[in-house]
Amino acid sequence: MRLLRPQRGRWIAGVAAGLAAHLGIDVRIVRAVLALATLLGGVGALAYVFWWVTIPPGTPGREPAAPAWARLARPLTAAEGGTRRGLKVSDVVVALGLLAVAALLLASRLGEGPGQNWVVPVLLLLAGAALAWSELDARRPGGAGHGHGAITGRVRVARLAGGIAITATGVFLLVGQRAEPVVMVQSALAAIAVLAGVALVLAPWWLRLVRELGDARAERERESERADIAAHLHDSVLQTLALIRTRSTEPEVVRLARAQERDLRSWLYDDRAPAATSFAVQVKEVVAEIEDTRTHTDGTAPQIETVVVGDVVPTEETHAVLAATREALLNAVAHGRPPVSVYLEASQTEVEVFVRDHGDGFDPDAVSADRFGVRESILGRVRRRGGQASVREVPDGGTEVRIYLPRDTRGDGEE
Amino acid sequence: MSENNRTAAAAGEPGEPVRVVLVDDHDMFRTGVRASLDARIDVVGEAADVPSAVAVVRRERPAVVLLDVHLPGGAGGGGAEVARQCADLAPGVRFLALSVSDAAEDVVGVIRAGARGYVTKSISPEALCDAVVRVAGGDAVFSPRLAGFVLDAFGAVGAAGAAEQAADDDEMDRLTAREREVMRLIARGRSYREVAGELFISIKTVETHVSAVLRKLQLSSRHELTRWAAARRLL
Repeated sequence: MRLLRPQRGRWIAGVAAGLAAHLGIDVRIVRAVLALATLLGGVGALAYVFWWVTIPPGTPGREPAAPAWARLARPLTAAEGGTRRGLKVSDVVVALGLLAVAALLLASRLGEGPGQNWVVPVLLLLAGAALAWSELDARRPGGAGHGHGAITGRVRVARLAGGIAITATGVFLLVGQRAEPVVMVQSALAAIAVLAGVALVLAPWWLRLVRELGDARAERERESERADIAAHLHDSVLQTLALIRTRSTEPEVVRLARAQERDLRSWLYDDRAPAATSFAVQVKEVVAEIEDTRTHTDGTAPQIETVVVGDVVPTEETHAVLAATREALLNAVAHGRPPVSVYLEASQTEVEVFVRDHGDGFDPDAVSADRFGVRESILGRVRRRGGQASVREVPDGGTEVRIYLPRDTRGDGEE
Repeated sequence: MSENNRTAAAAGEPGEPVRVVLVDDHDMFRTGVRASLDARIDVVGEAADVPSAVAVVRRERPAVVLLDVHLPGGAGGGGAEVARQCADLAPGVRFLALSVSDAAEDVVGVIRAGARGYVTKSISPEALCDAVVRVAGGDAVFSPRLAGFVLDAFGAVGAAGAAEQAADDDEMDRLTAREREVMRLIARGRSYREVAGELFISIKTVETHVSAVLRKLQLSSRHELTRWAAARRLL
C-alpha cells in the first residue's frame, strides 16, 4: 500500500496512521515507537516532522485513476468519508500551545513566571512554525487533494501571515531580551531590509518557476483532455464509421466513411511522422490515395487492409519500391477482387512489400496486354535497383505481388 | 468449411452452438453483431459495462466472451479489467477481443489480460463466426494487424532482426523461425489454411504455433515489448 497520510484516524498529521497502513502493523505500536524515540533525544519528533513534510496526504489504497479514464469512469472518491474539516486535533494542539504561551507571557510580565526567559520565545517560535507548516497539510499542488480542496486562499494567507507574525514575535523576544527599544527597532528594520533585498534578487527565479509550473500543468491538462476526446471518439465515431462502411451498399458513402475513419485513426493513433522521414507513412499515403480515387470492377470502393512492421527513412531505392507498390495496388484493385491487403516489412537491411488480392488468380495466357505492360514496369523498376519482384498465385484464390529490395546499409546507416 | 468443423469437434461439442456473451457499451453494435452471427453461435447474454459484464460472465459461464476493449465502469480498465477479473474461469471461458482501436496498448493490454485473440470490428460476419468457433476450440485468433504488432514488438524484422533474436536470452522473449514465418504469412492476409498449405504443415500445427506466440505475448517480460507499447502510447 502506498505511503500516504490518511485523513481518518489521525492524531496530529496522520504520519503514524499512514505508516501503520503502509507497513501493515497496528497504529498503536507505531505511535508508541515514535513517542519512545521522541523521549530518546527527540529523534521521534524529528522523524515525525520529516515524514509530515515528505509524505503527501491522501487515503492509502484509493489512488486516483489515470487521467485518461478519470472522466469516463469517475471513481467514487468524492463520497469518501472523513474528509470533513471540522475541529482537528492538530488545530486544537496549536491553539492550546498558543494559549499556554500567552499565559506564560502574562505571568512573566507580571514578574511571577519561571526564571528561564527563553522558554516563552521558543514556544512562540514553535507555534508559529507549526501554524505555517500546517499549510503543507491543507493542500498539495497536483496531489491527491480531491476531497479537501475547499480551503480558500484567504484562510491560507491568514494562516501563513499569522505563522510569520508569531514566529517574528518569538525571534524578537529571544534576541532582544535586554536590548533598548530603539536598537530593537533598528535591527528589525535592518532584518526586513535584508529580507527584501534577498526577495528582490530571487524574484525573477521564483517567478519563472511559478510560470513553468503553470505551463507544465496546462500542458498536462491539454494532454489529458486530448486523451479523453480520443477515448470518446474512439468508441463512438470510429464505431459508427465502421458500421456505415460495412453496411452501406453505396460506394461513395463507403468511400467517404473510409476516408474519414482513416483521417481520424491517423490523428488518434499515429505519431504522424512527416512523409519525408518515413517510408511507412509514404506507403499509407499511397493506399489512401487509391482508396479515395479508385473503384473495383464490381463498383465497390476499395478498402485496403494495411499492416506495417518497422520503418525506414525513404531513399531513392525505396522510392522505386513505393512506385512499384502503387502499381501493384492499382492492379489489384482494377483486376483483382476485394479484400486487398498490403503488408510492408522494413528494416535497415531490407524492404519487403506484399500486395494481395482475392481475385480469380493470375493466368498468364489471359493477361491483357496493358496489364502485362504494367507488370513489367513494376518488376523492371525494382530489378534495376537490385531488387526482386514476383507475381504469384495464392492457392485459395487471388494474386500476390512480392517486392523485395535489399538495402545498402552503408549509404544511409543513420536512423 | 471443414476446418471449422474440426475445431468445433475438438471443443467436444460438434452439433451444439457455441455459447457467447457479448460485451460492448454500444447498443447498436451489439444488435448488429447479434444479427450477423450464424447458427454456430448462440448469444446467451449481453453486458454494457465492466461490473455487469463480470456478473453476466460469471452467471452464464459462456464458452466465448466477445469483449470490447473500451468499456465504462469499474476501475476504468475496460475490457482488460473484465478479462482479468474472470481469469479464474479459464479455460472454460475464453475471451476474444473485438475493437475499433488500432492502439498498441489496447491490443497488447487486452491480450496480456488473457484474451485469446484480437479482431477489429470491421471484420466480416463469417470471419467473426469462424474466429468465435476457433477461440471456443481453444485456439488463438490473430488478425493480420495483430500479427504485425507481434512482429514489430518482438523485433523480428529482417535478417538482422532474426540474427539478433537468435542471440537473445530467454525463450519466452523471442519467436522461433517457424513462428516468425507463420506470423508473417498471417500479416500478409493468409488464412490458417493457406498458411498450412504454404509451409507444408497441418492446420493443427499452424494453430499450435499461433497459440505458442499468444502465450509468449502474454508472458514475455521482453523489455522491448513494454518499451514498444509505451512508445506508441497516446499520452
